[in-house]
Amino acid sequence: MMNTITNLSPEFSRRRFLGVSGVLVLGASLPVRRALAQTPAGTFEPSLFLAMDGQGTVRVTVHRSEMGQGIRTALTQIVADELDADWSRVEVVQAQGDVKYGDQNTDGSRSITQNYDRLRAAGASARLMLRQAAANRWNVKVDDVAAANHEVVHAASSRRLGYGELATEAGLLPVPENAPLKKESEHRYIGKPVIHVDAGDIARGKGTFGADYAVPNMATAVVIRCPWLGGGVKSIANKPMNEPGLVAIETLDAAPSAGPLFAPLGGVGVVAEDTWTAMRIAQGLDIEWTGSPNQTFNSDELRQALRDAVAKPGTPVPGSEKGDVDAVFAAGGTELSATYETPFLSHAPMEPPVAVADVTEERCVLHAPLQDPQSARPLIAAQAGLTPDKVEVTPTLLGGAFGRKSKPDFALEAVELSKRVKRPVRVQWLREDDIRHDYLHASSAQHHRAVIDDEGKPTAWLQRSAFPSITTVFAAQAVQPAPWELEMGFSNLPYSVENQRMESTGIRPGARVGWLRSVCNIFHAFSANVFADEMASAVGRDSIEHRLALIPASGKLKQPGQPAPPGHELDFGRLRHVIERVRKLSDWDKPRPEGVGLGFAVHHSFRSYVATVLEASMDNGRPSVSNAYVVLDCGTYVNPDTCVAQMEGAVVFGLSLSLYGDISMKDGAVVQSNFHDYPMLRIAEAPATKVELVPSQGRLPAGVGEPGVPPVAPALSNALFAATGTRHRTLPIRT
Amino acid sequence: MGVKLNVNGDVVDVDVSGDTPLLWVLRDHLGLTGTKYGCGGGYCGACTVHLDGAATRSCQLPVSTLQGRAIQTIESLDQRHPALVDTWTNNNVAQCGYCQSGQLMSAAALLDGNPKPTDADIDAAMTGNICRCGTYVRIRAAIHQAAGHQATGSAE
Ligand code: FES
Ligand code: FES
Repeated sequence: MMNTITNLSPEFSRRRFLGVSGVLVLGASLPVRRALAQTPAGTFEPSLFLAMDGQGTVRVTVHRSEMGQGIRTALTQIVADELDADWSRVEVVQAQGDVKYGDQNTDGSRSITQNYDRLRAAGASARLMLRQAAANRWNVKVDDVAAANHEVVHAASSRRLGYGELATEAGLLPVPENAPLKKESEHRYIGKPVIHVDAGDIARGKGTFGADYAVPNMATAVVIRCPWLGGGVKSIANKPMNEPGLVAIETLDAAPSAGPLFAPLGGVGVVAEDTWTAMRIAQGLDIEWTGSPNQTFNSDELRQALRDAVAKPGTPVPGSEKGDVDAVFAAGGTELSATYETPFLSHAPMEPPVAVADVTEERCVLHAPLQDPQSARPLIAAQAGLTPDKVEVTPTLLGGAFGRKSKPDFALEAVELSKRVKRPVRVQWLREDDIRHDYLHASSAQHHRAVIDDEGKPTAWLQRSAFPSITTVFAAQAVQPAPWELEMGFSNLPYSVENQRMESTGIRPGARVGWLRSVCNIFHAFSANVFADEMASAVGRDSIEHRLALIPASGKLKQPGQPAPPGHELDFGRLRHVIERVRKLSDWDKPRPEGVGLGFAVHHSFRSYVATVLEASMDNGRPSVSNAYVVLDCGTYVNPDTCVAQMEGAVVFGLSLSLYGDISMKDGAVVQSNFHDYPMLRIAEAPATKVELVPSQGRLPAGVGEPGVPPVAPALSNALFAATGTRHRTLPIRT
Repeated sequence: MGVKLNVNGDVVDVDVSGDTPLLWVLRDHLGLTGTKYGCGGGYCGACTVHLDGAATRSCQLPVSTLQGRAIQTIESLDQRHPALVDTWTNNNVAQCGYCQSGQLMSAAALLDGNPKPTDADIDAAMTGNICRCGTYVRIRAAIHQAAGHQATGSAE
């Protein structure tokens, strides 16, 4: 497989994009039209996502961003399968941000969910057109010719033609509607473990990430930003004048102190001929900042406020109340209550934010690791002072993102600086900038209170959640958690309880908050799964037995508020199935040695079901995890090996936040700065991991990138309880 | 200052300030962008290269100290350790891939000195390399495979 994102000169890459996207082509879902008028001679472009030349080289356009979740491979597998293409003759083209593709926002673990059908249809239409072209040439019926591995074959006469030989004629045919799709059993790439299209380049250091993209005459900028949100530059005491390699020192406007959305934070941009010069000069600057209301923000105070909030009634989740919780509490019985806490987290993708902008009076060309190049485009245009049609936004490979790179603030910095210095500019965030100026994952508190029966089943269950809502970034007045935040593992609890109430409280933070891989599911899954384990242990019951007793035998969850889309409702049978399977996979019933505990957690998120068991113990006063067992039901999957890898990675990501993740803020500023005080799990701490995938069974494709994360922290807490008898209700768990 | 460097067997002249870390010389001045910036503080290993054969963090190496030393980067790995490149590719080790140049250079240095490492050897040699995507179990497996024998226990 050739791979066209890597190591192209900018000139070539621009030409390539013109070649593909400069031509008006048909969308997969559009009604029948003549493809002829839009197609240059010798090429066949039956869809936005698929083009073929006379040599038979297929180009699949991927409109989602690659950040390690394997999407460039998976989307290509879908098209190539239905096309019956020879994988070695398929190239991948990375789409620019453009509304013509439909949603390009690579977040929410939904690229496959949203694109599976339309990309299959794109491949299938093209295959039918190639068969028709061959049938016309041979003067036989289309039903008598078959497509197979880049050829059309007429078995009766043993004639065959390669796809390339048919490209021009196929391009003259109308694009059919409702071309027949393959059966699941006929799939050759979908559902098969395919090596990622970028794997070989990455292993040779040839993948092009954001900072690797270079254009002639490019300068590099490092930006010093105000420690608190909303502060601007008051003065620079020691502005250097004639440093060798210095291009410019530019003052950038401060972001709004509330509701900053994706605005750059402002500060001082040091533009230099190379990165080190920019870093060195930036670090030597003595900058005085203007004040902002956020300057007094302290995370300790926020955490106290969150604890206080869940100690008293919050806003009831509309439609969540069942029976009469207060009456059961008043009647007495075995009562359990517990409060759980989680801190702020930073995304810390391995690649810090970076962007390359080339702004002239006529055009702006931007290359950056962006999760949503399409929604960034109008913002970039506004920053450049141009209309969006004059702006090209191309995602590079993303060196990890986890939600951070769906905010284009860093790209807007590059645009502004390029406009100012009239040269292409790369803005390079340092790791310190990344940790200190993130859109933080919200700190939270949950309170659970229940009355349980002899079997540990709750007869009444009250749960409260308090956290700074992501909506505070969007609007200066926003306070309360949004319904979509509560639907992440809080208002859609899958347990049958006769008397139940859910309440939430929002508190405005003095910092930007944002979505981090699995978002509010992290803290909601943590508190609910640990509390359920507490119910089981209160009556001496096996945690998995107990949990199965809480989940209805069959049927679908009716969640409060907006119902889930058809086919994506929480299905109790599927939830039970992943639990049963992880029990087997982990050999749950086999006794472990003294001091070693198993912990179980299950969570439904991003339309998928994940059950996780961790085996843990204490080792020299630190938690240590030896084995992880994960069962994933994501409906129909495209690349099973990617799904397994995402679960392996989720275990590590989840353990990093469980054992180390802790961002604190003092006087409006993040205290931590790099991996020495914001550590990540390292290889010696990574457990051996076994993953099982529930077969597709024709179900709707669901999320994979995020849903593995939520069960990890509660499984760890529960395992440590089993190992030591100590309950951990606050993350991170250090001792 | 002008410095003569020996990079991947080629002698190259660069003219930069002497305190410039090798990382930025490779990336900004020699166009060898396979070596990555991850932290600048010696914590993450994304910038790992070989200095006279030893895995070294290039963000911590002022270029003025490197006159006459042999530097190898990820761009030379295919020639020296094709088995590592192959097993990394065929096992889909990389997720985002950003840490993998550093992981591969650490793995190569390990195999140079220890052709049959155990899991414990691997953990010790690779502990300076963070992978935020969490590819550690595949890294272990791929190193064992490249070393030509099966995993000794935990990884598969
Ligand atoms: S960049 Fe050198 S160790 Fe992180
Ligand atoms: S593969 Fe993404 S950081 Fe290692």
